[in-house]
Amino acid sequence: MDKKMLKPVVFILSILLAVIGTTLYMGTYFSGLLFILAAVAVFLVYRWLESGKTALIDLLKAGARTLMVPFFGIIIAIVIGAIVMLASNYDPIESYRALFYGAFVRNWYVSVLNAAPLMFTGLSVALAFHAGLFNIGAEGQYYIGAMAATFLGLNMNLPPVLSLVLIFILSGMLASAWNIVPAVLKVRTGAHEVITTMMLAHTARYLSPIFIRAHGGDPSTSDHAYVTDQLPETNWLPRFNSFLPDANYRLHVGILVGIVMALLVYYLLYHTRIGFEIRAVGENKDAARAQGISVGKAIMMALLFAGFLAGLAGVNQVVGLDHKLYENLSAGYGWNGISVALLAGSHPIGVIFTALLWGALDAGGQYMARVTDTSNSIVEIIKGIILFLVVAKYIYAYLGNRIRRYRRRTQEAAKEAT
Amino acid sequence: MSAQQDTKQVILETKSIVKQFPRVLANNDISIKLHKGEILSLLGENGAGKSTLMNVLYGLYTQTSGKILLNDQEVEFNSPKDAIDFGLGMVHQHFMLLDPFTVTENIILGAEPGKFGTIDYKQAREEVKAISEKHGLKVDPDATVESLSVGLQQRVEILKALYRKANILILDEPTAVLTPQEVDELFEVIKGLRDSGVSVIIITHKLEEVMAISDRVYILRGGEVVGERKTSETSKTDLANLMVGREVVLTVEKEDKEAGDQPVFKIEDLRVLNQKNYPAIDGLSLDIKPGEIVGIAGVDGNGQSELAEALIGLLPVDSGKVIHLGDDITDLSTKHRIKRSISYVPSDRHRHGLVLPMTIGENIMIGYHDRTPYVKSGFHLDYKYINSHAAELVEAYDIRTPDVQNPAEKLSGGNQQKVILAREFSRDPTFLLVSQPTRGLDVGAIEYIHRQILAMRDHNVAILLISLELEEIFALSDRIEVLYEGRIVKEFDPKQTDHKEVGYYMTGGKE
Repeated sequence: MDKKMLKPVVFILSILLAVIGTTLYMGTYFSGLLFILAAVAVFLVYRWLESGKTALIDLLKAGARTLMVPFFGIIIAIVIGAIVMLASNYDPIESYRALFYGAFVRNWYVSVLNAAPLMFTGLSVALAFHAGLFNIGAEGQYYIGAMAATFLGLNMNLPPVLSLVLIFILSGMLASAWNIVPAVLKVRTGAHEVITTMMLAHTARYLSPIFIRAHGGDPSTSDHAYVTDQLPETNWLPRFNSFLPDANYRLHVGILVGIVMALLVYYLLYHTRIGFEIRAVGENKDAARAQGISVGKAIMMALLFAGFLAGLAGVNQVVGLDHKLYENLSAGYGWNGISVALLAGSHPIGVIFTALLWGALDAGGQYMARVTDTSNSIVEIIKGIILFLVVAKYIYAYLGNRIRRYRRRTQEAAKEAT
Repeated sequence: MSAQQDTKQVILETKSIVKQFPRVLANNDISIKLHKGEILSLLGENGAGKSTLMNVLYGLYTQTSGKILLNDQEVEFNSPKDAIDFGLGMVHQHFMLLDPFTVTENIILGAEPGKFGTIDYKQAREEVKAISEKHGLKVDPDATVESLSVGLQQRVEILKALYRKANILILDEPTAVLTPQEVDELFEVIKGLRDSGVSVIIITHKLEEVMAISDRVYILRGGEVVGERKTSETSKTDLANLMVGREVVLTVEKEDKEAGDQPVFKIEDLRVLNQKNYPAIDGLSLDIKPGEIVGIAGVDGNGQSELAEALIGLLPVDSGKVIHLGDDITDLSTKHRIKRSISYVPSDRHRHGLVLPMTIGENIMIGYHDRTPYVKSGFHLDYKYINSHAAELVEAYDIRTPDVQNPAEKLSGGNQQKVILAREFSRDPTFLLVSQPTRGLDVGAIEYIHRQILAMRDHNVAILLISLELEEIFALSDRIEVLYEGRIVKEFDPKQTDHKEVGYYMTGGKE
């Protein structure tokens, strides 16, 4: 009876600790890490209570196995990065110290700011991958979301919370509508979504300068000519420093929205009917069809959800960070979302971490370039190598086989020698 | 003849071959002998180690320990090229041919005659012609491979080996893709090769094949040789028992059963177009009554897959009607047919039957994933129920797996088929469409699946069975319908006919 009472209590405690920890940590309160670790520990206790010791050990083992490949990839990438720096006469130790200090301590808030849009676009690409689709045009949906959020933010005069919620939902839906054409073309004619979403991505990107000029501020009062008017403060996303006084004044709660979306996408994919249909179609559309699943509907839903998520990245930037839309055509959150999704193996929870890693590497790179002579293009090299080493998983199977074969040969040689 | 064989020269011998894979001991201490000019069978179920042994012989794998002797000389093959140089030839189950190339080009590929990097096509063509005439393997040297039937493509593979001067020929499941007539022709060819001094090894899990063609047979089970028999001194039952390791029933017993009078499923003058817009099913009519199994016999490619897909709603019907329990369902979607308790066991279980990376539980649920109790409040999947329900069926259908949360791809072929059976049979179907239910499965699994299908018949389900295996048609059907070029050309009572007569109509009533 005690155990029965205990289980929900332990579960709720772990959730509570995780929420507090994440909020604190994303608000640059490093004590949040302790809460997160405590939450993990309490969660393991919960699993132990629920399914016993062996299941817990299996869970830990599976966890370790999943983390091995990315961990290994990151270490190797760092080593190769060091070699590149040595070869180009930079001091790797000095540079890496600056990189990590900048990414995870000094400018952690920049890392978090960078990670938020990547989380949304990463989720968008990851969700589409589950349906066997490559939403390469997340960049375009990002711009549609950003433009819609700017337009709504400038023109909507509703109570603050309601207006923000509406901005998120309506802008997301508009971005999702941007994917209707590729989705219909895919279902009806089989036109490949890589081509169609990519083309529409360029269209959306270059629509943005026109939109900005139509909603522009007075160039004489701004040092940036190509920018829209500023959104009224009622339509800004709350900032961490409104409840955590030491947080950086620019840091907004978009990252928390991103984490919640990741959890929702996880739930959608693995615990709902439509998610099951999306995954079944992605893994084997012939078998799915033979069991009465509509392949067209699953593709449609996946692309619309993907568009919605990518659109939220744009909303997040406008209502959270910039509060206006810049003609910034080089940020590339949509393109980088592809890397983030690939690195996470398309797992929505994995996207949280890979987005943070990518954001941190960018922030660290900027800091490193400022305080040392090292060019921050090193960071791009490291990112490329990490992605390569993690995505190209077959390398490990190959290496594993080679090692096993070598061991067997040496054992045989030893046997024959005796 | 068999008495002489012991005195015949041993041409190929393996001594205590062991092949250890990371988790599986595929071959354990295998010693076999092949005499000059004999046909030897290696019989075993899937996973018995036959293919591994042949791949070791052919230089694709290196053995963990053990020796290969060729004419009493120890040899080591590091690649198929070495094996070919020593006179071994292999015909794989899946042909390794370049479809747009001609027969001659395919045969000489990798051993082209000619000087300084040029190819002497004229000489090549002559040589190919000479070999094909010598061995009675008739095939047009100038035809492209894609224009040939499967049986002729296999001939090209055999010619390829002979062109490279093979005197030992390994055939991996050679009849798997052939029609009954092509099988007979192949056997003639193999016998001809033996008589001209070529030694042949046939890898198979089909007992009929062993009995029909080989002189001697080794039986493999679990990576070991469990028996050696002269074909003239053994029986199918003996071989089956050795192969499975227990008493098996080759033809499950079937009691007579009166079918109901009102047909459950009616097909009226059905016409279905294939992808090339050509009528694959052309005016087919059929009634299936409750408690009877109607067997569709036919050579592959006579409309079987189009018929199955049209009946389940995956392919549109061009004209005609499909009626289930009195309602016209011709234009109903697959989803709604499943709702009407129509069940389907597809012939290609990997492509149409299972979502391999998904768990066993999910594969048992799929199709019913949109209804309670699998779904709660319309969208939330209740995995607790899904997995416990799957666990019950895993138990009931004897599916060998440690956990219902294992992906389906981790199961053996027989267990994968049992997952599909569990899903379809547990849904209380009124009409059951079963297409090639035992394709590629071994004797033990076939017995089990046949029993389950008969049990469904005894529960008054109307069953339509499509199979390319005449054995299966005869073992299960209460009525045999012969499908030829999209039409039913003949109906038989299985008790009043035989393989030969049915086979005759399967090829259009022509020799």
